[in-house]
Amino acid sequence: MRALALTLAVALAAGAASAAPTLNSRYADPAQPDISGIWQVTGWFSFSADKAIPKLRPPYDGLYAKRTTAFNAGKPIDDVTADCLPPGMPHIQVVPYPFEIMQTPGRVTMLFEYAGQVRRIYLDGGQPKEPDPTYYGTSVGRWDGDTLVVTTNNIREDTQDDFSGLPHSDALTITERFHRTAPDTLEDRITLDDPKAYAEPFTSTRVYKLHPAWTIGEYVCEENNRNQIQANGVTGFGVPTASK
Amino acid sequence: MMERPVHLSRLIGLVLALAALPAAPALAHHSFAMFDREHATPMTGVIKDFQWTNPHVWIQVLVPDAKGAPQEWGVECTSVNFLRREGWEKDSLKPGDKVKLMIFPLKDGSHGGQLNKLVELNGSTASLPGYQ
Repeated sequence: MRALALTLAVALAAGAASAAPTLNSRYADPAQPDISGIWQVTGWFSFSADKAIPKLRPPYDGLYAKRTTAFNAGKPIDDVTADCLPPGMPHIQVVPYPFEIMQTPGRVTMLFEYAGQVRRIYLDGGQPKEPDPTYYGTSVGRWDGDTLVVTTNNIREDTQDDFSGLPHSDALTITERFHRTAPDTLEDRITLDDPKAYAEPFTSTRVYKLHPAWTIGEYVCEENNRNQIQANGVTGFGVPTASK
Repeated sequence: MMERPVHLSRLIGLVLALAALPAAPALAHHSFAMFDREHATPMTGVIKDFQWTNPHVWIQVLVPDAKGAPQEWGVECTSVNFLRREGWEKDSLKPGDKVKLMIFPLKDGSHGGQLNKLVELNGSTASLPGYQ
């Protein structure tokens, strides 16, 4: 009798499990559409995969022209990431290191392999009040059907949109629409609305692939950074340090 | 007796890892502008030091100059995690190893570059990837 009850319980549990939607990972929240798992961007790592840029207003156009000239000469300037400072938003969304999305009640958390960075997306109103500008800003999300819509503002001006040095101002508001277009594909339609730096809002759609077998590794940028920015603002290529 | 399947599975893992090389370039924590990525260039030398570190793994190579005197070159690789996913390990290279590499040289002509791939190790063909 006891064996029969156990068999029934196992069968019921199995039935319940097969009826539930398949989740990407153990870190999904059954109350939300599932975008959990380990993802990596596809395509080139400029803000737009096709390297298109927003229409820049002065003085940001001049600043970007100066950076582009230095870049093309092989002497990139103002690249704060070379000093191991965080890339910030929106740059972190286009670096090709993988990141993990974890979903918990009222929260979507993105854990980036790149320098161990974190984005907290608040779905429950728990975001900081009257925040100061930060590298990743303040992100508030809501579900629009199976699309996660995230609005981010309070972003520092001294970061760049990508490694080409594309600038933004502190008036930047970013709207993202995360949507799974296939079981292994996540799309992020990213709109940059920056009335100080850009003549009009600029949108780029980036695509991420799921890597279920990967794990996120540790990455401490300060461990052996030989690319510190030099006194002239140019990214360095350091002399050999002692063997680690 | 127990070691053999472990080694076999590791070998299969390596083959799978190499077969699944990402089309996207592995990357740096800084811009690539300093490197001449149009011209992958062969480099032959002897390993002086292999730094299995972040944000970059570094290969220090002694390369003979025109007069045969060894010159030290620094070759920047991607991160530990990227190389590990592509089949590298912390002891893939050791001081004294003879290597042939392909590198994207520094545009300013100084002794350095970015690893494109390892093609030969101690006289044997190797195929460990770097930046694509």
